[in-house]
Amino acid sequence: MTRTVDGEHLVGQPIDRIDGPAKTTGGARFSAEHAYPGLTHAALVPATVSRGRITAIDTAAAAAVPGVITVLTHGNAPKLNPPKRPTPANLSTLVSGTQVNYLNTDEVHWDGQPVAVVVAETSHAAREAAALVHVSYERLPAVVDFAAEEPNAVAQKGNPVMPGSAKKGDADAALAVAPVTVDARYTTPQHHHNALEPHATTAVWQGDELTVHDSTQSITWLRKHLALRFGVPEAKVRVLAPFVGGGFGGKGFAWPGTIIAVLAARATGRPVRLLLTREDVHRAVGARTPSAQRVALGADTGGRLTALVHTSVTRTSRVGGQPEQVTAPAQHLYDATNIRTAQSQTTLDWMPNTSMRAPGDAIGSFALESAIDELAGELGIDPVELRMRNEPERNPIDGKRFSHRMLREAYALGARRFGWENRSPEPRSTRDGRWLVGMGVATAYHPAMQFTANVTVRLAADGTVTVRCGFQEMGMGNATVQAQIAADALGVPFEAVRVEYGDSALPASVMAGGSMQTSTVAGSVLAACGKLTRRLSTLARRTGMQGRTPTEILTAARVPFIDAAVGSDTRLGALAGQARMLAKVVRDQRTWAKAACGAHFCEVRVDADTGEVRVSRWTAAFDVGRVINRKTAFSQLRGGIVMGIGMALFEEALVDRRTGRIMNPSLSGYHVPVHADVPPIDIACLDEPDPTMPLGILGVGEVGITGVAAAIANAIHHATGSRIRDLPITPDKLVT
Amino acid sequence: MDFLRPTTLDEALALKAERPGAVPIAGGTDVMVELNFDHRRPEALLDLTGVAELAEWSTSDGQVRLGAGVPYTRVITELGDVLPGLAMASRTVGSPQIRNRGTVGGNLGAASPAGDTHPVLLATGARVEVASVRGGRTIAAEAFYTGVKRNALEPDELITAVHLPPASGAEQFAKVGTRNAMVIAVCSFAVVLRPGYAGVALGSAAPVPRRAAEAERFLVAELPWQTPVPLADSLKRAFAELVAGAADPIDDVRGSAAYRRHALGVLARRALTWAWDDYRNNGGERQCA
Amino acid sequence: MRLNVTVNGEPKQADDVWEGESLLYVLRERLGLPGSKNACEQGECGSCTVYLDGVPVCSCLVAAGQAEGHDVRTVEGLADGDTLDPVQQSFVDAGAVQCGFCTPGLVVAAHDLLHRVPDPSDEEIREALAGNLCRCTGYEKILDAVRNAAATS
Repeated sequence: MTRTVDGEHLVGQPIDRIDGPAKTTGGARFSAEHAYPGLTHAALVPATVSRGRITAIDTAAAAAVPGVITVLTHGNAPKLNPPKRPTPANLSTLVSGTQVNYLNTDEVHWDGQPVAVVVAETSHAAREAAALVHVSYERLPAVVDFAAEEPNAVAQKGNPVMPGSAKKGDADAALAVAPVTVDARYTTPQHHHNALEPHATTAVWQGDELTVHDSTQSITWLRKHLALRFGVPEAKVRVLAPFVGGGFGGKGFAWPGTIIAVLAARATGRPVRLLLTREDVHRAVGARTPSAQRVALGADTGGRLTALVHTSVTRTSRVGGQPEQVTAPAQHLYDATNIRTAQSQTTLDWMPNTSMRAPGDAIGSFALESAIDELAGELGIDPVELRMRNEPERNPIDGKRFSHRMLREAYALGARRFGWENRSPEPRSTRDGRWLVGMGVATAYHPAMQFTANVTVRLAADGTVTVRCGFQEMGMGNATVQAQIAADALGVPFEAVRVEYGDSALPASVMAGGSMQTSTVAGSVLAACGKLTRRLSTLARRTGMQGRTPTEILTAARVPFIDAAVGSDTRLGALAGQARMLAKVVRDQRTWAKAACGAHFCEVRVDADTGEVRVSRWTAAFDVGRVINRKTAFSQLRGGIVMGIGMALFEEALVDRRTGRIMNPSLSGYHVPVHADVPPIDIACLDEPDPTMPLGILGVGEVGITGVAAAIANAIHHATGSRIRDLPITPDKLVT
Repeated sequence: MDFLRPTTLDEALALKAERPGAVPIAGGTDVMVELNFDHRRPEALLDLTGVAELAEWSTSDGQVRLGAGVPYTRVITELGDVLPGLAMASRTVGSPQIRNRGTVGGNLGAASPAGDTHPVLLATGARVEVASVRGGRTIAAEAFYTGVKRNALEPDELITAVHLPPASGAEQFAKVGTRNAMVIAVCSFAVVLRPGYAGVALGSAAPVPRRAAEAERFLVAELPWQTPVPLADSLKRAFAELVAGAADPIDDVRGSAAYRRHALGVLARRALTWAWDDYRNNGGERQCA
Repeated sequence: MRLNVTVNGEPKQADDVWEGESLLYVLRERLGLPGSKNACEQGECGSCTVYLDGVPVCSCLVAAGQAEGHDVRTVEGLADGDTLDPVQQSFVDAGAVQCGFCTPGLVVAAHDLLHRVPDPSDEEIREALAGNLCRCTGYEKILDAVRNAAATS
């Protein structure tokens, strides 16, 4: 049995991704790249008020543009079922990005809400016409200023998966008497995912059958959502997304573009493509909430934490949005004697917020890990040493066991690779010409979860294996990784495995989110392969072919193929599966604290005069459980770090606090890191499997970004002596 | 919309006279963005990439005549020695793809306060050559920028070239941006030193790119022209203050007014130091900030 | 208007081209070549990079009419049948690909760099690829891919 050339297991090998050739040759087809006869193009008309009522829409000029087929508004659009309120009883309801019934209401809930759509023969005609649609509004008083609303924030309700607040002892009392304290406010702005592919939908109705190519990271739930909204049976809806050009959470939910494209296709009877402009991506897709946070730490003079308080205010919308677990890291990272975390939120006339890479944890870790660095300064203790003195043996808030936690080892490994011992303790003590040089460190932490996925695996007598599962591939490499896992489990070569994914016609899977897709699908693939192996042994015994290859056994048994299925797509089966899954999630949450973690080390150079910051060196050591494929996993970890560099230094939606409009809705205004901003990034993984997760996988999609902004802020403080607690750290904050 | 495709300058000027509403397009780095985003639907596009005369440069009467259609990449590779300041500014424009298409003529046509070549054109004392069927004229760079994204062109005129003196002393350009590349200037600065001449100009620091006349007079009077010694810190500081004082910046999405003033002072101090060192050592290229 | 343009060595014709249309749109929507990506339409991301007369440009910023009679080479025109160009192969080998949306533009930009500068320094690579945004990979493996392609070609 050939496994690889060197006879090693495939799991753990840096296998080339299977879609590499398609993507490097331009052969991969994304959602806006499917040709249909009679294809039309749509363009959205955004509202220009934050709250109000449409009093009139004049579409005459738009309709007169040559090539325009129709202009749809709430006055003439087909009626849709309103979205359901999100409920854990039906997880697909979570996929509704907002509660607005687009083009079925005269109400406007945020600046940028689509209020009309133009369908035309070309996208130019559609866009030209969209600009000519004139909408009149009755304006209503709108609340759009997050900072001004902060005092009116109300406490978040928690749930078993995402506790809103937590308490151990009396942190405030302990803080009041602690000999050494830090008490500071940290703020982060709205961030946009800005995946390179703008959201795109190609929608085709044939009778009551709907085919949708959509840049979604939630195929199964989107299909349910569309069936509900358009009043057709789920079986009639097919969602296809084999290639998605990045998501990061921004494509997890159904945003207006998708719904309106399907609506426009139904109204016109023609295939419709709606490709959001980059401005639409900023104004008609949810973003990461801004935050205001307080972290207060109390310690004895030996650096033992006696008090840890972390509170947060985030923003949600009157028409949707979700709480974020901003203070979650404070519940897991430090063995403080007393802990209090509390999360609250404001409700604004704003686009609902949505998940963005490590929701909550990415911004929460900025505040907490900055504050720990500040405390280290107050105490005169090395920040790595301070963390080690407070590294818990059990989950600090409730004493649960860690399923896996090798943060000490990660710090030791990272420090060695980075050369942390060369850091001089004093801030502003290293200068290289005009550059002030500093080193910073911070902890990465992201919870690990496993949901359920339905999978079928077929082993054929010709030796090929087909894995079928409606999971999503936005670049993470899941198809490659699942092929590795199946090949190993069945003892066939990697090349013998074909993986089918990205299609709602396949067995239903989980959305891509929470860094849980790889472990979730792997669990089901392993279970299915186990069934096949048992079946194969039975056949081998029956035919006297024990110890032979699958091909030999199946041929001898005259069986063309054997199938194994895990999970069920029937209504009852799906419900049972969901119930089992939720029960397992809750049980797991009660039993274990499970997470991926790591240590970021970075060096920055700050121009002493202009305040320009360059990140010059990076080492990160992670405990992400078992690494299935170094090539794809490390790339995700690096990508997370680079997004964190953007968060630390550039990324910010600039909003007009009077009107609630985003002022920089473009890639020239919203800066993400370019190649020249990124230093060599040294990644190391401990590669020790977690005992409670399939194959020991803890997930790599999100942990990379956590702690990054703090590591940079800490390095900047070390370089310059300036502590910046407001992201992004732009040059003006450092010199004026 | 019509797409007009002249192959000679005469033809282009005739078309522009006939269709003053036609929008000239060369590298497309500004015009196409407006078209793609539907910010503009002109009656016609006047494509200048087929006009060979615009894509040439030459030297005569001690001046370089740089055709309006020469892309930045060629300025960098072909004119780095002759027009070092302009080449430096060109290197900081967008990305390689943008520099392959974008032109100094286009920078002038768009007249954005953040355009990278403006400070160099001002500091070198460049003249903008424009033409129409009525004839040609040249306009001093400082008279060319008339407002935010506005310039001195008449509706029937096209920018045909820029005339710049070849470097005879030292030229420096510097800009500040948050990123390491693909930077729209938060502010930018150019200084040109020739025997008895100092040109100083700022970008992204006022509604139009502007010269800092007082700073120029200061340099002419105070630089130790006769005995080229390293500059005193006090002189650099005084110069930086004059430069910052010449700015009239605003708070916008890329930076605050206060930061712009501060950063301009820093750029002025640095660029002057480099330029003076070059001047003393008879040239030699330096990295810009 | 009618547009005649040579794409990947073959003469192509497109009819009813709107005068304000970009070369990118013509390639993607009229000539069936969606390999060049549409991600910002303002020259900020480089996903639409193609060769125009042998020079890499953002095709979203080229008016279709400006390509009349000219030679365009897209990412679809780099491989030799099923054999990937060495740059494409090294992107696959190095793990420089994730979601794949920025990849075509990066491949063209890297291809151009290696033809101009066969043995580029890291600095030159970073600079040459500065106009190509990637939100997934963290850039490091893209640098590796270009280094490897330089070493093997």
